[in-house]
Amino acid sequence: MTVAAVDQPRERDYASIIGNVFVVALAVLAILFLALPVVWIFVGSFLQTGNPISAGSMKWTFANYRTIIENDFLIFIFNSVFICIVAVIICTALAVMVAYAFSRYRFPLKRMAFASIVLGQLFPWVILVTPLFVMFAKAGLLNSYVGMIFCYVCVSLPFSVYMLVGYLEAVPRDLDEAAAMDGCSRVQIVLQVVLPLMLPGIVATATYSFLLMWTEYLFALAFLTETTMKTMPLGLALFFGQDTVDWGAVMAASAATTLPALLLFLPLQSKLVSGVTSGSVKG
Amino acid sequence: MISFERQHLGFILAMLVPAFLLLALFYIWPATFNLWNSFTDLTLLSMRQGGNFVGIQNYVDLIRDSGFKTVIWNTAFWLAFVSTLIRLLLGLGLALLIHSEPVRRAGLRTIARMAILLPWATPPIVAVVVWRQFFDGQGLFNQIFLDLGIISEPVAFLGNQATVWPALLMIITWNTLPVVTLTFLAALQTLPKDLFEAAEMDGAGTWRKFVDVTLPHLAPTMVVMGLLLVIWTFNNFVYVWLATGAGPGTFTNVLATEVFMKGFISFELGYSSAVGMIMVAIMLVFGAFYFHFVASRNFKEIM
Repeated sequence: MTVAAVDQPRERDYASIIGNVFVVALAVLAILFLALPVVWIFVGSFLQTGNPISAGSMKWTFANYRTIIENDFLIFIFNSVFICIVAVIICTALAVMVAYAFSRYRFPLKRMAFASIVLGQLFPWVILVTPLFVMFAKAGLLNSYVGMIFCYVCVSLPFSVYMLVGYLEAVPRDLDEAAAMDGCSRVQIVLQVVLPLMLPGIVATATYSFLLMWTEYLFALAFLTETTMKTMPLGLALFFGQDTVDWGAVMAASAATTLPALLLFLPLQSKLVSGVTSGSVKG
Repeated sequence: MISFERQHLGFILAMLVPAFLLLALFYIWPATFNLWNSFTDLTLLSMRQGGNFVGIQNYVDLIRDSGFKTVIWNTAFWLAFVSTLIRLLLGLGLALLIHSEPVRRAGLRTIARMAILLPWATPPIVAVVVWRQFFDGQGLFNQIFLDLGIISEPVAFLGNQATVWPALLMIITWNTLPVVTLTFLAALQTLPKDLFEAAEMDGAGTWRKFVDVTLPHLAPTMVVMGLLLVIWTFNNFVYVWLATGAGPGTFTNVLATEVFMKGFISFELGYSSAVGMIMVAIMLVFGAFYFHFVASRNFKEIM
C-alpha cells in the first residue's frame, strides 16, 4: 500500500516528462519546418547545383553569384532599390497627411472615405492589370520608373493610412490643442509636435510598405517587359527556363532578394506584430 | 477631435486630395473601365476601335462554361476554405506550442519566435522557388520518399493532379503561417490569469481550461484572422501562378489566374473583365463584413 502511494505520483511524473519531451520535440520539428527552406536557399546559393542534396554538390563556390551578376542582376537590384525607396517616401508622406486628417478632424463623407481606404486594402489587384496596361500604353508609362512608382504608391497607400491612423490614436489630441493655444500653425503642429511622436509608427509603416513593394510581382510582370527595367523578383524568374532550371542561379538570386527583407524585418518584428494584431497588416 | 468648420476645409482638402486623386486614378478609373469592358466583346484585335456592346453575354458565357465552375470551386474550396482552415489550426497549434511551459523551460521560445520571422520575411516568389525545388523530380521530397521506399519512382508533385493541391497549400501555408501564429501568440499573452485561477479552483483540467477559458478568449481573433486569410488568399495571384501556372492543364486555375490568363495571355478582354467583376462583387461582400465588424470597431473614435 505504501509502495502504491509512493509510486502513483511518480507515474504521473513519468507521464508528464514524456508529455514534455513530446511537446519539445514537436516544437523542434516546427522550428525546422519554418527555418529549413530559408537556410536551404542561402546554402544552395553557394553550391554549384543550387541543391544541397544533389550528389557531388558539396563544394562551396561563388559561381552562382557571378552568373546572376553577368545576367544583369545588378541592374535589377538598382531598379528595385530605386523604385521602392522613391515609392515608400511618397506613399508614407501622403499616408501621414491622410491619417492626420482622419484622426484629428471631422468632415463630411469621412465614413465613406475611410471605408474606401479599407476596401482599397482588400481590392483584387489582378483586375486592375489590363485597364492599367491600356492606360500606361497610352501615357507611355510602360517600362518606366514613374509607372511602377505610381503603382507601388497606390498599392501600399491604403495599408499605410490604416496603420498610421492606428499609431496616431496613441498620440494624445491634447498635445495638438496645447500647441495650437501656443500659437503654432497647423503645419507646425504636424511637423514639430505630432511627427516626432509618431516617428516609430512611421518607420514601421514605411518598412512594411517597402517589403510589400520589394516582393511585388504582378504589376512588375505586366508593366516591365524590357530586361533593363526589371525588378529583382522578375529578374529571379528569368533564371527559370521553360525546360531547364539553373537552380544555382535561382538560389543566388533568391538569397539576394530575401536578405534585405530579412535584415529589415528582424529589428522591426515586434512593431510589425502589434500592427498585425490590429488586423491592419497584410500577410 | 476638431469639429468641422469652413475655415478647416482648405487644410483638410490639402491633406486628402493628393492621396485620393492617385487612388482614384489607380483603383476607380481602371475598375470602371473594367466594368464597361465586361459588357463588350473587346479583344486585342478590336482594341483600336473598341469592342461592341454585347450586354450581359460575357456573364452568360461564364455561367454556361464548365471550366468556370472548376475555377470557382478551386477558389472557394481549396484557396478560401481549406487553406484558411489549415492555417488557423496550425497557427493556433503552433502558438500554443510556443506559449507552452515545456518549450519555455527548454529555452526554445526565443528561437521559435526568430524561426517564425524567416518565412514571413521571405518574398512569395522566393518561397515558391525553394518549395518548387523541394517538390522537383530530384528534390528533397522525392529523395526522402524514394529512400524510405514510399514511392518507387520520382513524382512531379506540382504536375500531378493527386498531389498538386496539397503541395500548393503547403507553399502558401509555409509563407503565411507566421502572421497567423504571431497574432494568436499576441492574443495568448493577454489571457486573463484570474479566469485561469478560478477554473483551477473549480478543479478544471488542462483540457477544460483550454475549452472554457483559452478558446473563448481567442475566438474573436480567430474570426478576424479567418476573414483576413480568406480575403488575402482569394485575391492572391502569385502563389498559384508561379507554382503551377494554373496547371497541370487548368487543373489549379483560380479566379485571379483566370482574370490574368484571359486578359493578358489570350486577350479576351471582355470575358476577363466579366470574371474580374465577379471577383470584385465577392470582395465587396467580404469588404463590407470586414469594415463593419473589424475596421469601424477598431477606429470607433475617428468615425
